[in-house]
Amino acid sequence: MNDQLKKHNKSIQKKKLRRFFPIYLMALPGLIYLFINNYMPLPGLVLAFKKYNAKKGIFGSDFVGFKNFKYLFKTNDAFIITRNTILYNVAFIIVNTILAVFVAILLAEMVSNLKKVYQCLILLPFMISMVIVSYLVFGYLSNDNGFMNNTILPLFGKEPIFWYMEKKYWPFILIFVNAWKVTGYNSIIYISSILGIDRGIYESAAIDGCSKWKQITTITLPLLKPTVIMMTLLAVGRIFYSDFGLFYQVPQNQGALFAVTNTIDTYVYRGLLELGDMTMASAAGLYQSIIGFILILGANLLVRKIEPDSALF
Amino acid sequence: MKKHLAIALATVLTVGMLAGCGNAADSGSAAQETTSDQTATTTTEDNTSTAAEESLDAAAQAIADRKAEAEKTGEYKKVVVSFFDWTGAPAGLERVNAKLSEYTEETLGLDVELLIIDSAAYTDDIKLMLSSGEQVDLFSTCGPGYMTCVNNGYTADLEENDLLATYGAKLQDVVRPEYFDACRVGGVLYGVPPIKDYAIQTAAVCIGTEYLEGAGVDLSKFDKDDLGYYKCTWDDVDEMFAAMHAAFPDKTVYSTQDNMLSQGSCVDPVGGDYYGSLLDPANSLTVENVYESEVFKTWCDRFYRWNQAGYISGDAMTDKNGASARIKSGAFMAMMACGKPAYQNQISGECGRPMTVFDVGDPFMSSSAVSSFPWCMNQATEDPVAAMQVLEALYTDPVVANLACWGEEGVEYVVNDDTSINWAPGVDANNSEYYPNVLWLMPNQYAAHVWEGDPLDVGPQTAAFNDNCPVKSKALGFTWDNGDYAAEYTALQNAYQEYSGKVIYGFVDPETGLKELNDALKAAGLEEYMAAKQEALNAWAAENGIN
Repeated sequence: MNDQLKKHNKSIQKKKLRRFFPIYLMALPGLIYLFINNYMPLPGLVLAFKKYNAKKGIFGSDFVGFKNFKYLFKTNDAFIITRNTILYNVAFIIVNTILAVFVAILLAEMVSNLKKVYQCLILLPFMISMVIVSYLVFGYLSNDNGFMNNTILPLFGKEPIFWYMEKKYWPFILIFVNAWKVTGYNSIIYISSILGIDRGIYESAAIDGCSKWKQITTITLPLLKPTVIMMTLLAVGRIFYSDFGLFYQVPQNQGALFAVTNTIDTYVYRGLLELGDMTMASAAGLYQSIIGFILILGANLLVRKIEPDSALF
Repeated sequence: MKKHLAIALATVLTVGMLAGCGNAADSGSAAQETTSDQTATTTTEDNTSTAAEESLDAAAQAIADRKAEAEKTGEYKKVVVSFFDWTGAPAGLERVNAKLSEYTEETLGLDVELLIIDSAAYTDDIKLMLSSGEQVDLFSTCGPGYMTCVNNGYTADLEENDLLATYGAKLQDVVRPEYFDACRVGGVLYGVPPIKDYAIQTAAVCIGTEYLEGAGVDLSKFDKDDLGYYKCTWDDVDEMFAAMHAAFPDKTVYSTQDNMLSQGSCVDPVGGDYYGSLLDPANSLTVENVYESEVFKTWCDRFYRWNQAGYISGDAMTDKNGASARIKSGAFMAMMACGKPAYQNQISGECGRPMTVFDVGDPFMSSSAVSSFPWCMNQATEDPVAAMQVLEALYTDPVVANLACWGEEGVEYVVNDDTSINWAPGVDANNSEYYPNVLWLMPNQYAAHVWEGDPLDVGPQTAAFNDNCPVKSKALGFTWDNGDYAAEYTALQNAYQEYSGKVIYGFVDPETGLKELNDALKAAGLEEYMAAKQEALNAWAAENGIN
């Protein structure tokens, strides 16, 4: 009996395998890519604990323990860059989600021939390279020729501001620039979720005398919640990574602004540009990965407690 | 149908990816094969005596062996030489390499391949090649840095088994013993310095000639120095700037760069950086904090004054263009660099207009002047003998030097009656197929032709300029491996970047700016770093009998 069951199971498995074989095959290039790009370099992490010497090679070099991590924790830089990275990302998650949902609802409710045009236009900033964005920002903030100092501030009778030397403005500038750049892109997913909601619900609500505002708060938003949670979770997983272009290019790599613009990525990049030390790069990468891993596990755990259906795993 | 299509697509994608990887691996192993058969001859010759005659014989023997080997296999051994230029591999590189190999097959019994890489990519690329076993035999350390290469173990000991004395004997005719010694790290010679100006004429203020005329500056009141530049004081410079500012109110007077210490002072960045420097390098080996010194404060005061007077752009801290590129754009009028023989031509070319050079500082040779970017040999080189003989040819053979520096005669350049050279008809800097424009890092630019307009004896002039330099650092030849203090160094570098900009470009009062900078540097571990440096310097001084 048992044997028969096993056989039966096996044949089902075989059938399944045959049936899905083309799909596995289609996934193969991706899997191979993943293996080559993400798994094969893993043994190289050992470099973080070594003093590299070309003569001895990666695996033959001497172990030095945690020495390569020392530079991260030498000053309170480690605290500042970790704080900046996490706080900025939290701010981005909140601001970008609110804006993206807002824009998505507006666009979904819009009845106009120009709807497609608006959708394209709002996506445009996302397509622009950060280097170009940095010069757009510079066009506004330049001390000598900037739009702010020459046109806007004089309108209000204010003195010119040396934007690239004043730390206090930059948290706002960076959050604003980031929101401007990604809102359009983020809203696409929300728009598609909204369009996926059954129109019948809205119609019956309208018949019951429900206003537009009521429809949004009681139908659209609750039904969007799973999408919001999923997108937020994905963002939390990357909370320890920062958009290098945003934090390096947009403030023009300005030393005076380091306290509010330095993130883990820019710190490591600067350090390695000066030192050219592979082992310290590996150490920083390992630190970033481990903390990132812990954060995504933690976030998922939290979601599973609150809303089990929405958890990723 | 769909299923078949999917399978076909997947197969194609997979095969394509594997093919991409496969190719790289293949070419790697092929390169190794071409160089792996020489080791036998090398080892037999390693024990040859160093007497001059015999060394010539050994060198000639090595060449003859290679030729015989090439006759048997029909293929010449190849030596790869890598350095950077500004625009990536020149279009005519293959042709120049063919010409070069045609010549070296005769003289050395091998092929030479120049591998020229874009300056922006060179540092990363050369490190990858050196650590991955790709063939590169000789390389310039300009980019990755000499100490980085030595610390990472990329470089070969050039004197192992008398390699240099036996196969690079002629190198000792063109590079002096003291310059070799300056490149030793822990007594081991890992590199040969390029022959160039090691001394600098500090604080050469360069001003567009047209602006001087427009401002009505009278040049006849200035004397000229040995190099032919106008001698003047900082007060004179202030006066000229004021006149230029009044005459050209739309243009910015001074094009800034962070070079007030490196090009505008005789402070020695001993051990490779300014975190702990020699303030009086000709007389004292005491490591001091330059950022608290009078020299640095004077510079900051000067920039504060200039900034207040409106000579400096409000965007100085954010503008990343080179100082000369800004002058070329026409919006800026003056800059500071360091002078040397034949500098006026060079800076005028860079700024795209005739420039007048004013000599405001003193000549100076720092401890790292010679050893900043020597030529090195890959420790994994299959045939050190062949590589050494190519290195020797680069330094001493005019045919090889000319091909590497200027390309092919008659195609890239033509020779004038007085042996100077100029563009071949129809060729210029923009359309030349071989114009690396990095003479200063080439092994020996003076073995090649001189460009029209520069003095024909620029080589001897430069040698004399180096020799006559009155302020030579006592620590000349001291090198320091800061690997154990990498954490402090990174922290210092960050602190400097964070607090220096405002004060060195005169945006804050030096009183407060300097205090901020010094507090940050001390918090980052400046004192510890300086103490370590001082200890290493003392040990070196004791070892070399310097006090």
